Amino acid sequence: MNKVIIINLNGIAYQLEENGYEALRSYLDAAARRLEGNPDKDEIIADIEQSIADKFRTVLGANKTVVVTKEVEDVIEAMGPVQNASDETPASGPGASQGTGTAARAGDSPAPPKRLYRIRDGKQFGGVCNGLAAYFNVDVTLVRIAFAFMALTWGAGIILYLIMMLVVPWANTSAEKAAATGLPSTAEEFIRRAKEGYYEGMKTFKDRRAFREWKWQFKQEMRQRKREFQREFHQNAEQWRQNWHQHWAQFPQPHPGWWFVYPILAVISAVLTLLCLASIVSLVLTGAVFGIFFPAGIHLWLGILILLVIFSILKLPLKAIRYSCYYHGGCGPGYYYRPGLHLWNTFVGLAFLVFVLWLLNSHSEHAHEAIEHVRAATHHVVDALRDWWNQPSPAP
Amino acid sequence: MSINEKFTAIKKGLLEFLVLKIVAANKVYVADILNQLSATEFATQEGTLYPLLSKMRREELVDYEWKESEAGPPRKYYQLTAKGREQLRETSEYWQRISATVKSLGQDPGQPTEESTPR
Repeated sequence: MNKVIIINLNGIAYQLEENGYEALRSYLDAAARRLEGNPDKDEIIADIEQSIADKFRTVLGANKTVVVTKEVEDVIEAMGPVQNASDETPASGPGASQGTGTAARAGDSPAPPKRLYRIRDGKQFGGVCNGLAAYFNVDVTLVRIAFAFMALTWGAGIILYLIMMLVVPWANTSAEKAAATGLPSTAEEFIRRAKEGYYEGMKTFKDRRAFREWKWQFKQEMRQRKREFQREFHQNAEQWRQNWHQHWAQFPQPHPGWWFVYPILAVISAVLTLLCLASIVSLVLTGAVFGIFFPAGIHLWLGILILLVIFSILKLPLKAIRYSCYYHGGCGPGYYYRPGLHLWNTFVGLAFLVFVLWLLNSHSEHAHEAIEHVRAATHHVVDALRDWWNQPSPAP
Repeated sequence: MSINEKFTAIKKGLLEFLVLKIVAANKVYVADILNQLSATEFATQEGTLYPLLSKMRREELVDYEWKESEAGPPRKYYQLTAKGREQLRETSEYWQRISATVKSLGQDPGQPTEESTPR
């Protein structure tokens, strides 16, 4: 069963299946875009609509009142992509049905405007990364890694993902799928769309005076904003420069000992993080943390939350030491302005993490298994999240 | 790249000439033009033909009039204007010269007079 949409072609109504309607609309939209600037644009579009209507009439009869998607696609293919006659560059030649065979495909020339959709084919979770990859024309793995990375830093990736899952629609019809992958987005395309938006807005001004006033105000506002932005920018830059100079004047170099103390603190912090991760994994896999079972009835998510809180509390003294080091130790409050030390710190922490993982993996059968299980555990977590997300709201 | 693809641009350029020829012979509407072209290497589609015809009308090479058809709505029938006829004559001559050039080039340079002069 398919939804039917009624359209009006040069004064006569036709019933089209929804997907067919989408295909026809994107074809006519593309035609209109191709003919942009052509003085006879409206007439040509009318001719083309008339011709499409003639073709529809031949497939309809007394017992057949709806044009199905396949028939619409056939008609579009027979019409061929609309090409501006004064267009000197033959993008895809008029070789047509008899010619190369590829040139006649409807999707070739009438490029639908690119839009962001979620894509079901090959999705892992919500199809967001898939859609983004198609939109920006990059490998989906890269997008996923970027999201995972963002999820590690304060969970921004997770929040962004969930928001996009709610906001971005699925690509359902073939036209939407085409729009999701579409042409690579170009600056021209953005400018064109912006212009369209601009002119759309203008149409609503019936009164010329009102329009002029609006335009004047708009320009003033833009100018004002630009000035403010520039001023702020200069102020900020000045402020930073001063801070920088002061800082280096006050604290020429950290005491060399800190180059060892900071990494040690970082390593302890990394150990705690690892323990936290291990206990979460263990909780998910076995329902117990280091042999201690959670009381029955506590949901998995609550358990994880409790673990996170416990480990934050454990880390508190460590944090206190580090902060007190920053303020009373050799570095002074300018610790964060020492990119070299900061980088070194991160590097040592990461190296330690990798080393521990490697050690566990190669020397402990149990740990090896656990690491192998992390993959499965991740899937489990994702499944649980999805179930939770999809569960129907409780009936009233 | 097939021959067909290599000639895409040339065929596109020649399309206006062919449409002039078809319209010159008879009052036609778009489906007639498509039919006549469909059996040839120049087969084309409405998507190409409508914009081309509208450009030719703007250049005052062709003109159209509405005529009732037995089935369906009235149709546009195209015919050549005086300017269109002139253009067709010039284009035909130019085409003759081009095909003569294509024929004569690349002949054996040893005896050019014997080969290229008509017997």
